[in-house]
Formats: sequence, C-alpha cells, structure tokens
Amino acid sequence: MFSLGYVLQQTMNGVILGCIYSLLALGMTVVYGILRLINFAHGALITLGAFFVYFVSISYGFPFIAGIFLVIGFGSLMGLVLDIVAYRKLRGGPEVALLITSIGFYTFIENFLKLIVSPQPYAFKTPDYLNILYRTQLLTFRSIDLFIIVSSIAIMIAFSLFIKKSKMGIAMRATAENLEVANMMGIEINKVISVAFVLGSAIAAFTGFFWGAKYGQISYDMGFLTGVKAFVAVVVGGVGSVPGAMLGGFILGVAEILSVALLPTRFAEYRDGIVFAILILVLLIKPSGIMGVKEEIRV
Amino acid sequence: MIPLLKVKNLSVKYGVIPALQDISIEVKTGQIVSLIGANGAGKTTTLKTIMGILKPVNGSIVYRDEDITRMPTPQRVRKEICLVPEGRGIFNRLTVRENLFLGAYHRSDEQEINSDLEKSYSLFPRLKERENQIAGTLSGGEQQMLAIGRGLMSRPKLMLLDEPSLGLAPLVVRELYELIQEILKQGVTILLVEQNATMAIRVSNYVYLIETGNVKLEGIPKEIESLEDVRKVYLGG
Repeated sequence: MFSLGYVLQQTMNGVILGCIYSLLALGMTVVYGILRLINFAHGALITLGAFFVYFVSISYGFPFIAGIFLVIGFGSLMGLVLDIVAYRKLRGGPEVALLITSIGFYTFIENFLKLIVSPQPYAFKTPDYLNILYRTQLLTFRSIDLFIIVSSIAIMIAFSLFIKKSKMGIAMRATAENLEVANMMGIEINKVISVAFVLGSAIAAFTGFFWGAKYGQISYDMGFLTGVKAFVAVVVGGVGSVPGAMLGGFILGVAEILSVALLPTRFAEYRDGIVFAILILVLLIKPSGIMGVKEEIRV
Repeated sequence: MIPLLKVKNLSVKYGVIPALQDISIEVKTGQIVSLIGANGAGKTTTLKTIMGILKPVNGSIVYRDEDITRMPTPQRVRKEICLVPEGRGIFNRLTVRENLFLGAYHRSDEQEINSDLEKSYSLFPRLKERENQIAGTLSGGEQQMLAIGRGLMSRPKLMLLDEPSLGLAPLVVRELYELIQEILKQGVTILLVEQNATMAIRVSNYVYLIETGNVKLEGIPKEIESLEDVRKVYLGG
C-alpha cells in the first residue's frame, strides 16, 4: 500500500514537527510545574522569534548564524519581560487570573504583530547551505532537516541535564513540588521562576527559526495553534514532567503528520482534530499523562 | 546573657482572623526552648513567622541583636536560622541526596558541603543506604531524619523544629529526642514545637504554653510540670 520509503519519509517529517512541539513544551511544562500557569503567551514567542530572525537575517541581511544567536538573546529578554511585567504581580492570586493574563498577552502580541508586519504571510528564504538536498535510498532530506533534528536533540539533552543535575535545576524541581518549603531552604522563588521563563522563552524563540526554515512561511498567527498543541503535548506527556513534555511533543508531531500521510486524503483537514483525539485517548487511559505523577491537592 | 532570639508582642492574622496576639518569647543560646499547646494554638504560626514565611501585623523579631522582622526568608536562612517543617516537608519527588543538598542551597563552599553530607550520612546511616532513592519512599521515621539532616546541612545556629514526633512510633520518638540533644551539644540552639508535651518538657530548658494565640504560661520545666491544670490537659494526668 505505502512504500517503506514513504512511511519513513513522513515519519521524519513528523519527528521534525515533533521537535518543534517538544521544544515549546519544555518551557511550558516547567512554568506550569511551578506556577500552575498554562502560559498561552508562550506560543507568541515562536512567532516573535520567527519574525525576529526574518528581520535580522532576511531583511537586514545579517548572516543567519548571527540571527540565530541574537534570537536566543531576544527570546530570553522577552521571557524576562513577560515574567516581570505580566505575571509577577499576580502571584499568590487565583490561578485563573494568571491564565487570563496569559491569554491577554498572547492576544496583545498577535495583534501587535498583525499591525506592524501586516496580516499577510511572509516567505522565509534561507541560504543555500541550509537547503542542500541529500538523497539516500529510503529518505530525501535537506540540511535544515538534519540541523533541526540534531540541534533539537542537543537542546533537549542539555535542558534535561540542567534540570536533573544543576543546582538551579534541583531548586526548580523543589520549587515545583513545594514552593513554601523551597523558600525555607533559602531558594529565591522569583529568581527560579525568572530562570524558567527565560530558558523556556529563549528555546521557543529559537524554535521560531526552525519553523520558518522548515516550512518556508511565517505569519503573525502561527504561534496560536502551535502553542495550544505544545500544551497538549505537555498534558499528554504528564504535566510538569520534562521527559514527558518531550515524549508528548514527538507523539503529537508524528501522529499529526502520519495521520495526514497515511489516512485517505479526505481526512487531511482533520489533522488538528486528531491531535486532540490523542489527548482525550491518553487522558482516558492515564489521567495524569504518560509520565505524569499524580497531583497532590495543593492547599 | 543576651537572648539569641527575642520575639516581642508579635501578632499575626490569617486574613481577618487573628492567629497570634501579642506573643513574646525568648530563646537563649545553647538552650532548648519548647512551645507546647493544643492543636491550632498558634505554635506553627509562630515558627513560620520567625522564619519569614508569614508576615506579622505587629511586633518585632530580634535575632542576634538584629531586627529581622521584615527580612525575606532566604536572607534569614543565610543568617543561620532553619525551620524543619511540620509533616517533615521533605521533597518527595527528589532523591535523599538532593534533599540534603538543598539544605545547603545558600552555601557555596562545595568541599565543606560534601564533608557535611558525609557527616549527615554517618549520623543517619540509613539515609546513606537510600541516598539515590526518591524521598517519598522513605518511612515516616526516615523522612523525619532526612528533614532534620537537611536542616543541619544549612549549618544553623538556631533550629526551629515543628512537631518532629508527629506520627512516629514511640521507639522512633525516643531515638529522635536523643538526636535532638546531640544536635544541641553541637552548638545548635533549638526552638521546639510539640503537641507531645511530655517528651518536649523533659528535654527543655524553658517552656511556653500557648493557648489561642497567646502565651498562657511560661517557666522552667519543673514549674510547668507541677501545675495541676497543665498535668491534666497536656500531660495526660
């Protein structure tokens, strides 16, 4: 029915989309773990990052390498600004206030972008060295595909090690489990939260470049559904779990692409619905997500 | 002698509900001072306020001659105060080693931290065996040892112990109290909160009886024990 090459090819596309979801999910899961905040504004970071690289490297012609490094700095800064301007004052208040604020900030950023860059999609042209075509017997891919997969895995490993081994990472996990006791240990909670926002946002903004380079087109609203799906990945993997977020991202990416590639064409338009069907299915079988721990009730 | 800790006219409210009203207590260096009293009397609230987790509406906390009433908690930790919270308050999802390590969070003397870690393990050999285990899998007694061990990792001058014997078997409680006296010998001053008053009074130098947010009685253990009312209500006859 389908050749092995075709299935492998599509799986690879799914893995690439999965990389993007996973990287976004990382930032969302650590922030959720500590603040119980579904940070919708996180999705805006991928859009901001994509346009940032567009302006730096395509409009102004700086080398792409420079654009990539600058977008990491830009994302970090935006994360810090969001943390301090949007959320810090609301801490200790009802969790729903944080949620509404994050939706508000997402909407603000999206509309702001719509105003300054226009509602039209932008073509994201990358230099030739990112578009070298490789053909093997089973797979055809571009250098950018390889770059996305390799650097995503590198980021994920680095991030996991940071969370697992570093002093700040341990403090982050402690804060996620019990904020009050973490404070008693002398951990400055605000600092831990800022680090979570900065790292997550830097990664998300960087992911914006992947999106542009892979799909060749960026638009002011690209972050919305992507952000929502990244959060679905977080929930599927188990809220608050870093390996879970990555796993959830890959499951979602691969399932989304394969559902389009392998199901009859008339199902293609349901690709987003399929993502949510997976969510519902996973939650029915394991309510805490694949790698999630049962949530204790927080007083 | 100047007290290590002097709490004066402290009042704390939960919303509009008063939790502490004009509490004054003193803890002298090298002593064990205990706060006893019924559930909900305000003992835990007192400790949390000394640690800066709760903010007082009134009164002052002076520690080593310095007013720390408005100081943020992490700074108090650096001033060598530590709170071993009620119900252990260990990080269940972290390993034993990570828990201990977090006790020393404010310190940066890595070699000293490692030697303190070894010291904790020699004090609590069972923690060494379970070093890489998730703390949530420990028994109640082991969790309490971990909480105290974690507290010691911060090298405190003043340790606030909240209900350490809660939910522990009598044999473990005895072991625990031996440990508390050992900690005292190492130069750590202890402010102890207990519902299990018999044990607490036995090891203390001075006792405060707290009732509905107030100091009802205070004195040396002998005086307190000899009071008929106290015996009946708090010491089980």
